[in-house]
Amino acid sequence: MPEPCATSHRLPAWLPWFIGRLGYGLLTAWVISLVVFIATQALPSDPARVILGPDAPLESIQTLREQLGLNRPILLQYLSWLGQVLHGDLGISLDSNQPVAGIILARFGNTLALLGGVLLVVVPLALSIGVSLALRRDSRLDRWALSALIFLKATPGFLLAIGLVLLFSMPQFSLLPAVSILDPDKHLWQQLEFLLLPILALSLSSLPYLARLVRASMIEALESDYVSAARLRGVPEWRIVWRHTLPNALVPAVQGVALTLRTLIGGALLAEVIFSYPGIGTQLNTAIQMRDLPLIQGVVLVITLGVVAINLLADLLTVLLTPRLRTARRVTLIQRNRRGIQSWWRRPAAKAP
Amino acid sequence: MPHEFSRRIFLGNSLAVGGGLLLGSSLLGGCDAGGPASSAAASARPGTPVHGGRLRVGIIDGDQAGNLDAHKPSGGGIIRGWALYSKFWEWNDDVSTRLGLAEFAEPNADASAWTIRIKPGLEFHHGKSIGADDMLFSILRLTDPKLASPFAGLVGAIDRQALRKLDERTIEIRFKQGRSFFPLDETLIAFGGIVPTDYDPVSNPVGAGPYRLKRFVPGQRALFSRFENYYKPNQPYADELEIIEFKDQVSRVAALRAGQIDIASGVQAEHSALLKADPRLQLVVSPTTSFSGFNLNTAKAPFQDERVRQAFRLLADRQELVGRGLNGFGRIANDLYSPTDPTYNHAIAQRPFDLDQARSLLRQAGQTDLRIELTTTANEINAALVFAQQAKKAGVQVKVTPVDASVFNGPQKEQWLMSPGSTPARGFLATGLHNDAPLAIYNRSNFRDERFSALFTQALGQPDLAQRKQLVHEAQAIQHQRGGLLIWGFTDVLDAASNKVGGLHGEQTTFASWRFDSLWLNHA
Amino acid sequence: MFSASVWREPQIRRGGLVTLAIVLLALLGPWLAPHAATDMVGGVYGPPSGEAPLGHDFLGHDVVSRLLSGGVSILWMSLAAAAIALVLGTALGLLAGLSRQRLDQAITWLADVWLAFPDLILVLLIVSMLGRAPWLIVMTVAIAFTPGVIRLARGSAVAVASQEFVEAAQMMGFSRTRILLREILPNVLTPLLVHFGNMLTWGVGMLSGLSFLGYGVAPPAADWGLMINENQAGLLVQPWAVLAPALLIGVFAYGTNILAEGIARHSAGERK
Repeated sequence: MPEPCATSHRLPAWLPWFIGRLGYGLLTAWVISLVVFIATQALPSDPARVILGPDAPLESIQTLREQLGLNRPILLQYLSWLGQVLHGDLGISLDSNQPVAGIILARFGNTLALLGGVLLVVVPLALSIGVSLALRRDSRLDRWALSALIFLKATPGFLLAIGLVLLFSMPQFSLLPAVSILDPDKHLWQQLEFLLLPILALSLSSLPYLARLVRASMIEALESDYVSAARLRGVPEWRIVWRHTLPNALVPAVQGVALTLRTLIGGALLAEVIFSYPGIGTQLNTAIQMRDLPLIQGVVLVITLGVVAINLLADLLTVLLTPRLRTARRVTLIQRNRRGIQSWWRRPAAKAP
Repeated sequence: MPHEFSRRIFLGNSLAVGGGLLLGSSLLGGCDAGGPASSAAASARPGTPVHGGRLRVGIIDGDQAGNLDAHKPSGGGIIRGWALYSKFWEWNDDVSTRLGLAEFAEPNADASAWTIRIKPGLEFHHGKSIGADDMLFSILRLTDPKLASPFAGLVGAIDRQALRKLDERTIEIRFKQGRSFFPLDETLIAFGGIVPTDYDPVSNPVGAGPYRLKRFVPGQRALFSRFENYYKPNQPYADELEIIEFKDQVSRVAALRAGQIDIASGVQAEHSALLKADPRLQLVVSPTTSFSGFNLNTAKAPFQDERVRQAFRLLADRQELVGRGLNGFGRIANDLYSPTDPTYNHAIAQRPFDLDQARSLLRQAGQTDLRIELTTTANEINAALVFAQQAKKAGVQVKVTPVDASVFNGPQKEQWLMSPGSTPARGFLATGLHNDAPLAIYNRSNFRDERFSALFTQALGQPDLAQRKQLVHEAQAIQHQRGGLLIWGFTDVLDAASNKVGGLHGEQTTFASWRFDSLWLNHA
Repeated sequence: MFSASVWREPQIRRGGLVTLAIVLLALLGPWLAPHAATDMVGGVYGPPSGEAPLGHDFLGHDVVSRLLSGGVSILWMSLAAAAIALVLGTALGLLAGLSRQRLDQAITWLADVWLAFPDLILVLLIVSMLGRAPWLIVMTVAIAFTPGVIRLARGSAVAVASQEFVEAAQMMGFSRTRILLREILPNVLTPLLVHFGNMLTWGVGMLSGLSFLGYGVAPPAADWGLMINENQAGLLVQPWAVLAPALLIGVFAYGTNILAEGIARHSAGERK
């Protein structure tokens, strides 16, 4: 976002804060990678045996263990893995003998498309539902809509997905493919029909939280002093809603979207398994089943970096959307306020009407 | 939803051994007669083969991504191998063998050496002609200890040092320590794909099979194109073959019904009624002699005691195991494998279901309050759960423990006290080499009986059918009396396909839908 | 904290009734079931009939009997997981909120790292590593829930601690423990209780999701999540064996969720 900083050549005030956050995020990713690396060593399995198969003679296994460096101390193994990763090399999958980076790249794109699709559906929908319910607060429509949202929220997401598969595998409902068998020869956007059901399932389960969040923050903004003041000054109601309230209600929504995305990554795993969608979730599930350690480590690393990036982006957007924080001279002010925001959106239930 | 799926389909059908097509239709006849059934298990679809089109085959590969290796296939690699590779022999519908690439393949009088000559003018996918060097290379690669193929054990008798090239098209195979090895065709056929000397399973996966590789995405799909110089003239029929991997049966059935695939290879019995009711689909039943059973680990207490093994075999209600474990699609077995082998001992009476005798045997063995752990994979859990319930009636507590496939086949694989076991339909000697023979590749029952081993080794070197029969009969009597396998049933393999698919018919093998060189698609 | 007025909140009444009904069903079910959960009494995927109103499942168990026997596990496991997370998280959160800078930072950072990891994936990894014993699954789910509680407890504690009555108590010379137990804990209890209800809902979803993926309760035990997993192959043939447990899981999650909503609403109303 370009900053009207004509008076000085200084960098935007939020930049040092942002770099600090970036470092913090990377530190988090590193710690998780270390923990996961050590944890996968505890998996009851021997990669050499996975590669060679159950009938390999002991000598071949020993040789391969040495070749793979599996008899080195764990710390040393970790350091060499980390060194590889920093060079962009995630190793070779034990199961398929393909470079892990390549496998993940293809799958990650599919998952991103899925999550992107969900956001495209959920964000506008949640905004419009949230705003219109807030404007009709406590009306019958509001009460009914809230009950419906609560019901959706309570239903475990994978049940919704199973229900959709069941519905669309009936001959009468062959409008949409019940499972997603993507053709790797074609571009994803040439076969969007396979995305529709998974997107629908995930959207249904993430809509309630966001819609209620927008509704609650809209109500809060509508009740605030400056809105009352504006009303007293005779500002038209549509202007109050569109120009004054909505932008303020957007700020918590940004953090809400970030939280939704984070839970979606877990939810996407189940949805991908149910719809046979070739995303990163199904990949992780099979990697765990096969004890494919390099693939598990790679997928976990990518997921962690993804979450860190999402959080970072959300924080940045929050700062940029809040004028007071955007122009803040001191980093501490941002931090204090950010914490305020964070503990606020972590308390969704207490915010409920 | 079709609720008319009948529950009694397995009653009365289970004993109908053999007579493949008859059995198939009688099984289906038991379901619902009212539905718009297609000519499901009827013999080969009428009509002449059609050339062209892309044949899409959906397979289940579980969680494994699999590979393309001719000699060490994993996951769907075995099925993809049917497209990529040809062998000296190929399988007949009744699980016997006929010549494939070879025009001559015979053992000498005492089966201590085999001479194999291939047809003239054969080519690999990349244009190189097939010669004796490639034949030798393929056998050496399969048996290479560095490759560590689990299937090398099947032909473990081959002496790698004594392989000889006789001329440009002929080789001679000899066996270790001057041993004899009669069932070479049955054991080399499965994983003995002939590959060129510059073969590499990843960078150069070429063979002489009906289709050549175009693209392979592990864990997702493989695309092949027609091999113009395939050794069978005019075959294969389709321009392209695509093998698509699925993780679960439900989504694959949905894909078949939606026309996203043409063939579903090996469908679950649960879906048979559903598939049969769909007029656009054909369901093909192959009554195979692939067995389903349990390994009783004879190296561990209490199965060291022959009486306990007997008791377990008596307390199994085989009829119910076939009914529930296989959903009725199978026939009961008599703790012996390979009933279609000409050497099979039909004189051994079917073991009855006899709870009283089982209890009394357990009492004799001093095992009245027995607790057993049955380790299984998630795929084979149904029969295990049924058996656990049956064992309860004889006072045996069977605890079923599901583990991941990688753990099940891991270092502990021969340590499980009791575990499910199954082997695809093969002759007696080849099946033995999979299970309880000396030097078997998976001896989960740890059965090591001196007399049995001697008989089996003699049979391996006995080309004469009548004499081999005698040896096998005695060996089977031993297995039936004190073996470590509880074989309760033979499994039917169900394949489903669109009506547009031709050339698919039921057979006694497990791979009716893998014969890619004889399947075609009415794509017009 | 709560008075009789709690019951005037319709959501609490409704949620309480639904939850109670499911709890009673799960607890009394095993006695009411016509067959044992492992008895194979009907045909494989037998359709509903007079004797078996919901038909039979993948091995011919009576679906009704398995439903009645299969609620206990998900009930106690989700309760235990939520309770452990609540206790552990509250302890750590209050410790962080009331302690000096460094410990606070350490705990907050730990919770942050923890939260950066999607919880289902965390649980999946741990369970595949350590096995699927029920208590292990409970602990894993609890651990996945803990950082959320830590943040909530810490946030509430910080907010409360800066209020006048705490400062007054400090000036009167009361000990830290006394202030913690008498002044702060009661005041952070309501948001924690609401969070507990939410955790129950998530726990039900996560535990049944785990079972669905094949990492949950091991067969032959009856469990609603497991029933969905093992009967999935028959989804198109005998959908009741999947739909019925799915419905009960949904209703249970709905009940606990409404209850949490009601408590939140009630306390918000009292504050006004």
